[in-house]
Amino acid sequence: MLHIKRFLKKSPWVLHYNTGSCNGCDIEILACLSPRYDLERLGVLNTGNPKQADIFLVTGPLTHRCHDRLLQLYSQIPDPKVVVAVGSCTCTGGVFKDMYNVNNGIDSLIPVDVYVPGCASSPELIMDGIVKALEILEGK
Amino acid sequence: MSIVFSFMLGFFAPIYGGIFYGIDRVLKAKMQRRKGPPVLQPFYDMLKLFSKTKFIVNAPHTIWMIFYFLSLWAVVFMIFFGGNLLYIIFGHLLATVFFIISGYSVNSIFSQLGSNRKLLSVVAYEPILIVNAICIYLVFGTFEISEILAAPNNFNSLVFTFLSLLFVVPTVLKLSPFDASKAHQEIVGGIEVEFGGVFYELVYAAKFLEMIFVYSFIFILASNDYIFGTFLVVFSFFAVALVDNSTARIKIDSLLKALYMYGFGLGIVSIFWILLCCI
Repeated sequence: MLHIKRFLKKSPWVLHYNTGSCNGCDIEILACLSPRYDLERLGVLNTGNPKQADIFLVTGPLTHRCHDRLLQLYSQIPDPKVVVAVGSCTCTGGVFKDMYNVNNGIDSLIPVDVYVPGCASSPELIMDGIVKALEILEGK
Repeated sequence: MSIVFSFMLGFFAPIYGGIFYGIDRVLKAKMQRRKGPPVLQPFYDMLKLFSKTKFIVNAPHTIWMIFYFLSLWAVVFMIFFGGNLLYIIFGHLLATVFFIISGYSVNSIFSQLGSNRKLLSVVAYEPILIVNAICIYLVFGTFEISEILAAPNNFNSLVFTFLSLLFVVPTVLKLSPFDASKAHQEIVGGIEVEFGGVFYELVYAAKFLEMIFVYSFIFILASNDYIFGTFLVVFSFFAVALVDNSTARIKIDSLLKALYMYGFGLGIVSIFWILLCCI
């Protein structure tokens, strides 16, 4: 019997969403796909489409305006899926913690599997986080 | 070619088409000085898509997509059985129309936009294919692929046909600069946007079949010289990958203008070249 599930690990397609981040982490995520770090060698594709994604890369401290959209995108990704929170703001709120217009991190709203710290996270950390996410994805 | 061999070629077209697609991705990565994914990556993607949850937006959307895939596969079978070139072009047009209808059958604005643009790009490349089929008829006196492949090599008279086909290849395969109908950052893949899971695999595998369709057009230009035909295919494969990597997307109206001016123009030049200089 061929275990189809183990191929989840070999072709993770990434959906990237910015919940009000300063763009620092977003630039680092795009740097991961550049020739220097080349995430595509792991089979990673940056899709803009939740219906074809496996890994949900979220940046930003989750402003109130992004609430509904984050939930919509999360619910449109077909199972199995993993959520990776990239950057300090996304994990805990970071420097925006307890401000009037943000929730403290996205785990107040959706379940997060991997936390990648850093302000901004370096490409090495993000890649490490994605590889960690692949192990979790295989077990789901 | 024996019937069994033709059948095998047609039946396994999505398999070796996938390997070509994998090679294409590695080649593009090497051009950007990246390592690139493994060659078997399209099959890993396929197996992954099988294990995802199935989403259907509405039944016609998926059914038209299945029609598109099956009729495209039938067109590939017709090519390997040495069928009529005109039937193959119109069969491919029919398959594309199924694809476009599938895009119109959902309410997503991106899908509708993608359908509109795909329709316009069909309007742009279809006359070029017809003109090129006429050129092939003028040179070989037949539309049957089996007879064209048995005829002696006459590539000198088909040089301009080859050049005009080079404009069609990126348009059919939706590659830069003629990828306005897909535009995966701008309209999130156009018609592909609403497909997920195993149904997206049909869209994905259809890309391999489209590849076989356009490159077999180039292959038959070399008629019975199969080595030269392979060379032409490899050359255009490299050229298309290079142009895809090094150019930006153009708007759909510029696409129409470019294809009518250069692609169709080269087709007309090709007819005059054959009539005045070669016969």
